[in-house]
Amino acid sequence: MSKMSKEMIHLLGNYGHIGFTFVAAIFIGMGGGIYLDRKVFDDRTTPWFTFIGLAFGIAAGFKSLFDIIKQQNKD
Amino acid sequence: MEHPILFISIILEKLGLPIPHGPVGHTLVEQLCAPYMTYTWFTMIFLMVVGKLTLGNLEMVPGKGQNFWEILIGGMDNFFVENMGRDLTDKLFPMIATFALYIAVANLIGLIPGFMSPTSSINTTLALTIIVWITHHIIGIRANGFAYVKHFLGPMPVLIPLMLPIELISNFARLLSLSIRLFGNIMAKETLLGILFMLAGAYFAPLPIMILGVLVSLVQAMVFVLLTVVYFTQSNEHAH
Repeated sequence: MSKMSKEMIHLLGNYGHIGFTFVAAIFIGMGGGIYLDRKVFDDRTTPWFTFIGLAFGIAAGFKSLFDIIKQQNKD
Repeated sequence: MEHPILFISIILEKLGLPIPHGPVGHTLVEQLCAPYMTYTWFTMIFLMVVGKLTLGNLEMVPGKGQNFWEILIGGMDNFFVENMGRDLTDKLFPMIATFALYIAVANLIGLIPGFMSPTSSINTTLALTIIVWITHHIIGIRANGFAYVKHFLGPMPVLIPLMLPIELISNFARLLSLSIRLFGNIMAKETLLGILFMLAGAYFAPLPIMILGVLVSLVQAMVFVLLTVVYFTQSNEHAH
């Protein structure tokens, strides 16, 4: 494998999944919040866990971006 | 939209087996005859037969077939050793190399008319991803013991209530992003090809997309394998 294509694959692998990872973190956080609200607490706490889950999801998305940058700086 | 012609489904239908008309059938036989299952078996048989034909008798001076496999397997081995070290590579090479070959062949097979990519169904990609996800936790627990929990606790004890949910969410997000990226790319390729065939198949309209499809198929297989290697490396090393 030539030098150029190897570097290209590394860049694709490291940065190609930024969008999906960010969105997936937000979806999982908010989905967890909605599940807690609807199923576990039977709609008694309705907006709160959704918002808390959304906040944690966004934070997790930024944290995974931060991890990607940290890992790229390490090599 | 026109229904794509899948020759294995037609053969099975002629043999009298039920073919599901939705994405997944109701009975067990219908589920086994779903196109993504039959084409998964086709891919497996293809890989086994090609391997047997080209590597049937190993020689000291390699011929054409053996040369190809030696370059491919040697290249993958070098790549894994660079990224995750000799020990881990020796343990996990069969699994990751099988994933690489299977995903690459399964993606490329969809470019031939009459075939479909098994990876354009979320069931296949989610199955692959769950295997990778569980394996990376097993590697972490085997390498670090109980200290593997530290991976999820953040840099300092004060931040544990904040960092634990964040780390857990970003860990589960791997499961989602790894499976949906492969599935989304391949399904988009298949759908786009189908629509272009229907609209202007006589004027070779799908040809540029097919060329891009070769690129996308190989790149997605590589990205899946690279991310698998990265996750294994991360869970193998000690927490900060």
